[in-house]
Amino acid sequence: MGLKFLVLTGDGINCERETAQAFINAGAEADIVHVNDLLDNPKSLNNYSGMAIPGGFSFGDELGSGQVLALKIKHGLKEAFDHFVADKKPIIGICNGFQVLVKLGLLPFPQGERVMALAPNEGGYFTNRWSTLKTNRESVCVWTKGLENEFELPVRHGEGRVVFKIGEEEKIFNQLVKNGQVPFTYKKNFNGSYQGIAGVCDSTGLILGMMPHPEAYVFEATAKNKKEDPFAKAPGQKLFDNIVEYMEKR
Amino acid sequence: MTTLRLEIESLIPTHSLDRWIEEANNDLGLKLSKLVKRRVYKIESDDSQLKTKMDEQGNDVFFDPIIEKVLKDHQEPSTLPQYVVEVGMKPGVTDNPARAAREALELLNIKAEVASGQLYFVYGEGLNKESVLHMAKDIMANDLIQSIDVCNYEEFKSLDRFKEVSLPHVVIQGSTEVTEINLEISDEELEKMSVDNCLALTLEEMKHLRDYYRNPEVKEKRKQMGLPINPTDVEVEVAAQTWSEHCKHKIFAADIDYKENYDQGKKLGDKNVEGLYKSFVKASTNKIKNDRNLSWLISVFSDNAGIVRFDEKVDVCIKAETHNSPSALDPYGGALTGILGVNRDILGCGLGARPIANTDVFCFAPPTMPQKDEVDLMPAGLKHPRRIFEGVHLGVEDGGNKSGIPTVNGAIYFDKDYAGKPLVFCGTVGVMPQKLKDGVDSSVKYPKPGDKIVMVGGEIGADGIHGATFSSLELNENSPSTAVQIGDPLTQKRALEFLIEARDKGLYTCITDNGAGGLSSSVGEMAELTGGAKIDLAKAPVKYPGLTPFELMISESQERMTVGVPAHMWDDFSDLAKKRNVDASDLGIFTDTGYLEVQYEQKPVAHLDLEWLHGSLPQMKLKANWTGPKIRKSWNNIDRRENIPNQVKATLTKLLSTPNIASKESWVRRYDHEVQASTHVKPFVGPEADGPGDSGVVWLAPHGGARENAVSIGCGLNPRVSQYDGYYMAQFAVDEAVRNVVVSGGDIDHLCLLDNFCWPDPVQTAKNPDGDYKLAQLVRTCEGLYDICLEYGTPLVSGKDSMKNDFRGKNRKGDPLTISILPTLLVTAMAKTDIRYTVTSEFKDAGDLIYVIGKKSYGLAGSELCELYKIEDNNLPNIDISANKLMYRTYNNALKEGLVQSGHDISDGGLLCAIAESCIGARMGAKIDIESDRHWDDLFNEGPGRFVVSVKPENQKRFEEIFKGIDCQYLGSTCEESNLELNLSGNKTVWSVQELVESFKKEL
Repeated sequence: MGLKFLVLTGDGINCERETAQAFINAGAEADIVHVNDLLDNPKSLNNYSGMAIPGGFSFGDELGSGQVLALKIKHGLKEAFDHFVADKKPIIGICNGFQVLVKLGLLPFPQGERVMALAPNEGGYFTNRWSTLKTNRESVCVWTKGLENEFELPVRHGEGRVVFKIGEEEKIFNQLVKNGQVPFTYKKNFNGSYQGIAGVCDSTGLILGMMPHPEAYVFEATAKNKKEDPFAKAPGQKLFDNIVEYMEKR
Repeated sequence: MTTLRLEIESLIPTHSLDRWIEEANNDLGLKLSKLVKRRVYKIESDDSQLKTKMDEQGNDVFFDPIIEKVLKDHQEPSTLPQYVVEVGMKPGVTDNPARAAREALELLNIKAEVASGQLYFVYGEGLNKESVLHMAKDIMANDLIQSIDVCNYEEFKSLDRFKEVSLPHVVIQGSTEVTEINLEISDEELEKMSVDNCLALTLEEMKHLRDYYRNPEVKEKRKQMGLPINPTDVEVEVAAQTWSEHCKHKIFAADIDYKENYDQGKKLGDKNVEGLYKSFVKASTNKIKNDRNLSWLISVFSDNAGIVRFDEKVDVCIKAETHNSPSALDPYGGALTGILGVNRDILGCGLGARPIANTDVFCFAPPTMPQKDEVDLMPAGLKHPRRIFEGVHLGVEDGGNKSGIPTVNGAIYFDKDYAGKPLVFCGTVGVMPQKLKDGVDSSVKYPKPGDKIVMVGGEIGADGIHGATFSSLELNENSPSTAVQIGDPLTQKRALEFLIEARDKGLYTCITDNGAGGLSSSVGEMAELTGGAKIDLAKAPVKYPGLTPFELMISESQERMTVGVPAHMWDDFSDLAKKRNVDASDLGIFTDTGYLEVQYEQKPVAHLDLEWLHGSLPQMKLKANWTGPKIRKSWNNIDRRENIPNQVKATLTKLLSTPNIASKESWVRRYDHEVQASTHVKPFVGPEADGPGDSGVVWLAPHGGARENAVSIGCGLNPRVSQYDGYYMAQFAVDEAVRNVVVSGGDIDHLCLLDNFCWPDPVQTAKNPDGDYKLAQLVRTCEGLYDICLEYGTPLVSGKDSMKNDFRGKNRKGDPLTISILPTLLVTAMAKTDIRYTVTSEFKDAGDLIYVIGKKSYGLAGSELCELYKIEDNNLPNIDISANKLMYRTYNNALKEGLVQSGHDISDGGLLCAIAESCIGARMGAKIDIESDRHWDDLFNEGPGRFVVSVKPENQKRFEEIFKGIDCQYLGSTCEESNLELNLSGNKTVWSVQELVESFKKEL
């Protein structure tokens, strides 16, 4: 049986279709599953090799981005979710999905108290732009192995500024760096993120949260500027290829 | 009843209020130094354990402890503000944060009502209560929909606000009984009734309504039904909605006596026009369809959007709407409901399409208005032009972003004649599979008598009552606030995803949106498909009790769709809706009785002959009188044009920074333009992603289309040309829209158009004495549109008109003031495009050859140059439609041969601005030679039908060969040096690319 990934949808998630497509491009299967269906049958999570919480505006970003969806998952899915994590199954949260993972307390340290948040961008506005990401070769992140030193992805968010618990910023940041939990940073820090952090993973490297949108750049057809071959594979696809390859080997 | 109040304050600095401080200080002359915001939640519950439950876990719902703190009682801030402003929602206004909070608390088994608000601590010098209240109303909130309280800090402190908590509740005591309306009254009384009840019907229409009830057969039938002989209020309101200009387009259907009293320019000759829509819009499309034997027009004019086939597997539909009047009163809510409304048109097209792209075009007063000397001359009762701009922008931003639909194309057009009424055009493109389950065509609705009529989505409230009739009236200081409402993107998104799922499972047979006129329109229109409908309004879910039957029938509460569900599928449909947190209510059934039958708790409240309702209204008869160009006068008698300088250096940089040409990047970047991962050409191009894109290109493969297939979407509008001749305004607008998509790679032979007319009142009355002239402009615009569409072979597939875009009131000094918009035709183009052969506007490599292709003409009338400088030129540039068409086809061939490196269309600012923009996008210089004895024309004329392109030197021969016989002029080449160098008849002018960039990107 091939690998199958769960791509969450519902309640204002917007990027489920392109996220599912990225897994399919990587040779896996992907089911787009409504959060209510998953809550009705939490055990069905066992059928999947990995999970994605895509971007969007769950609950309209009201009360804070990712806040209510995280609450819904925490209350309706906690046990199954904990199992999933304990089984070392990979999870990616993109943009709003990242915000959900952070609010769930899964990132950056699944054990222990919450120390991180995604605050409104320093400029005060939602922004859609392309950003060059600098890859950290020392990162333990499984999703980002073998990425180019620098590559571009689109970012589209209003609340993507990584901040840490006030007064402990440096300590937490150093800890993350030491553990290899910062897979990439923005070359130009447009949103005021701490040290330009664009994504964070857990210490196993299997749970990744990131603000940029890799699923929006899996073919050159959607590049920032026109490329020679629009059907060629683009850098965003690499993350999904990596995880499928990793899970196949495992 | 237990109540609670929570206040949430950020622990880290945010900059979201910096702009407000700047505006308060610049526009209102205040001296603010700081604003601090708190989010406020008021919670109310029957649960006596509320406080305990909230303290245990409920409070955590409302804030993020890493960056925010929650206050449950009064604490002194570290520095004391001078004033405090509290903003809340008025009763019944959609409160999205509160809805989310309610759902979140339910997850914790806390059942509670919630209301949201904001608290602002205001710091500054020389403030008083009045000035702070003025600022609050102008910048922070809208008192049509929000409550605003201002107090000084001492007063604030003494409030027992954490103990005395009251939530806004709607208390209305409408009767569920219907009211009889006696129409057997004098003409004057009929007219008065129409005005007093916001019916927006003419005396003739009131009489037509009255006459129906005089018919003996009708009387007999009503007696049998147990209805009064006189009409009920429900019936009168349904007729008013159905016959509103907004829904019925009476002016576009009117019989027009057109006279020409002008012997120059384009002559159309005196004529009788049997309906503009029929004679021009529909006629051109039908003729094109026949002449070209087009098989790709799937559905035109008959549905909520036009449907075309540019792909083997999926069909594409497109629609644009305006939301002008609501946006004038509440810019944010008006624009938000505008974009969500047109999204529902797409969802309600055929059996439902998925929105894949939004477009938006705004017409506003210039952002620099009002300057100090014109503050008192501005229209009274309307918001500051900048606030309208910002509010509309934010509404479209939230509407698109939160729904996950990319905004790929648009324009912001500034002219002072939009100071009385902004224009807000919202467009959406959708995709549907050609075939659904069991081979059903997704473009065709097929309800059967007996199918259930089901309302899906939000609940009904008093919001949006009389929206359709209100928008058919002019704006004045007393325009009703019930026409204003806030949209709820989440509720709509849930409904959309649910309906697409239900569509693919084959669970319904027809669908339409509840827009203008509410259930009255949605049920009334779909009833025509089976020949009847019967509903019970008491079955409709409501936001609060007390709504009368007629209010339920015509409320425009948002986020609702009406669908037809076969009885045997109802359980499946209803179960799926529940699983997706979507309301679905069975209101009645479709019938074939020929009547629209409405009940309330099984008692009849309306019984109307459908044929009479939809087909009997007498055609309006109108007069149009063309007396030649009429150059408008400034409505505030201020003319800011300068004398024309004697050299071009400053002219170019000045033009690049005028609001209509300058980059809108800081605004447009706040729209998500890439969600759904299919935006191939984006709004900004080039290495720094700040060159202007000409059209948005959306790849269809991610939506089920063929691998290389895409659609490009562009728009065109030239309202200032209407001063000279509507005939040419239409042709310039069509050409601009077509140019924009063709230059990026769109195929003119697979290209469809939308027409959106926004006009000042074209009906002559005592109050509106030049209505016949404005109607003549409209006739000429339609004729110009007809002619160019036929020649280009580009069918119109959908459109809309909005007819009373005038402000009649007073200025702030109290003097009478009328501002009519410039007659405005927006044309949207959508063309089939192959993503392998697209190009963008920025130059690519140094050493490439630069050409201008297309036919040059003279004339500066209507140009941006003429807005800046005092130039007496009343000549419009020529348009040579057949030459343009040949050029566009040839250009498309050149793209397919890979001969074109960059292509940019020439529009606002003319040739030199287009070249400058190609340099800006590429951060690359160019050397241009132009021999000219009329250099203002040659450099800045905005004549249609032209592109600036660049070509690799090795392709020069083939390129010139292809364009043989077409106007194609070599201008020079791109260069390594970062300068634009113009050699104008031997005189050299040099701009650094950096200075061009700075002018172009100057903040609006």
